[in-house]
Amino acid sequence: MLLVLSEQHKGHLSFLSTVEPEVVAEFGRITLDFLKRGTSPKIYEAAARKLGVSVERVQCAVEGLMFLVLESCRRTLSDTDFLDSVLVLGFSQDLNNTLLQLYLQQSAQVRSVLAQLAPSLPVYHSLEWRLDVNMSSRALRQQLCPIITLCLNLTSGDASGKVCKLLQARPSTLLHLLSVLEKALDAMKSNHSRRILRNIK
Amino acid sequence: MESSESVQRGLKLLADPCVFEPRSFSVMLDVCFRSVLVAPGDASVLDHPELKNLDQILVKQSHTAVVTFVLECVKLNTDKSTLSSCLEELSFSAERIEIFHNKLVSPVHALFCNIICLFSLGRRLPEINDVSWRLQYQIKSAQVDKVDEPFYLITLNTEVNKEAESSEDVNFSCTVEQLQDLVGKLKDAAKSLERAGQM
Repeated sequence: MLLVLSEQHKGHLSFLSTVEPEVVAEFGRITLDFLKRGTSPKIYEAAARKLGVSVERVQCAVEGLMFLVLESCRRTLSDTDFLDSVLVLGFSQDLNNTLLQLYLQQSAQVRSVLAQLAPSLPVYHSLEWRLDVNMSSRALRQQLCPIITLCLNLTSGDASGKVCKLLQARPSTLLHLLSVLEKALDAMKSNHSRRILRNIK
Repeated sequence: MESSESVQRGLKLLADPCVFEPRSFSVMLDVCFRSVLVAPGDASVLDHPELKNLDQILVKQSHTAVVTFVLECVKLNTDKSTLSSCLEELSFSAERIEIFHNKLVSPVHALFCNIICLFSLGRRLPEINDVSWRLQYQIKSAQVDKVDEPFYLITLNTEVNKEAESSEDVNFSCTVEQLQDLVGKLKDAAKSLERAGQM
């Protein structure tokens, strides 16, 4: 599967062939940094001053590079597909290889960042538990009631971060939960699931 | 065991053979347990033919007293000797004490008092009642192609308060490995529960 670059995108990237290879490598570093932390106009200005070109030029080149990496990661292009895709830019072999390294180096990380963008429920992070025995309460003295207190740590999809849910369960409920969830795990191993996993690839 | 003046007054009425004959005494106790266990807050429990010919004010006074006394007994898990001495002070005859005690410790009454009335009172964490799950396979999203990963959606049905019957579900998703982790930890909990049970 090849990446189809728009004319505008090609125009933005063409700036890369006019500068030194070190500058391209530096742009690559900035690109990855921006993908993680967001863009910063100050860095654009500094780079533009050093190279003696307009800020827009630098911004378009770096953002073009970001888009190239993002799209390639999204489609998980193979090495050959990536090289074939950038071939239309008419860059030198060395420059193409620099871009390929840039893509390969960070594709796993960029993909995990992209996966987080999808809307999703809170995701399981960890579970802590404690065995308690209710002994007495204001309304009822002399009880003997074992109870499992659970702390379910979830990571929510948006920026709010971790959520901790405190719950409790009676022993019989705990055993019920276990048997139901074990059936859920067994469903993964069933012939039906395996057939689907094998065929959607 | 201490009880307030109005409870003592109400119980003395019940102990008095001039107010409650043996038959209406027994009916009165049944009615009181009924209003604790089966029909809390239902005023019609007092519309019993056996109690019709009594002074309704006295009936209500002793009803309130008996209900309060029964709940207090269950709360403190009162033994027979304490109960007897308490009722003796309120001029109950030995026969009536015996009837009262038998009703109080009858397994059905004791169990229901415990579970329904008193156990669920008070603050506690949401309690898990059930769990449901769904296995899904993510193929692609707007941001990423070729995700190709199975994952589970888990819903824990929880109940916050029995009286209010309010419930709130906890929804989350997890990968197969994460579910294995979750099940492993629950197994640990179940094992230690079993060990604690053998002590």
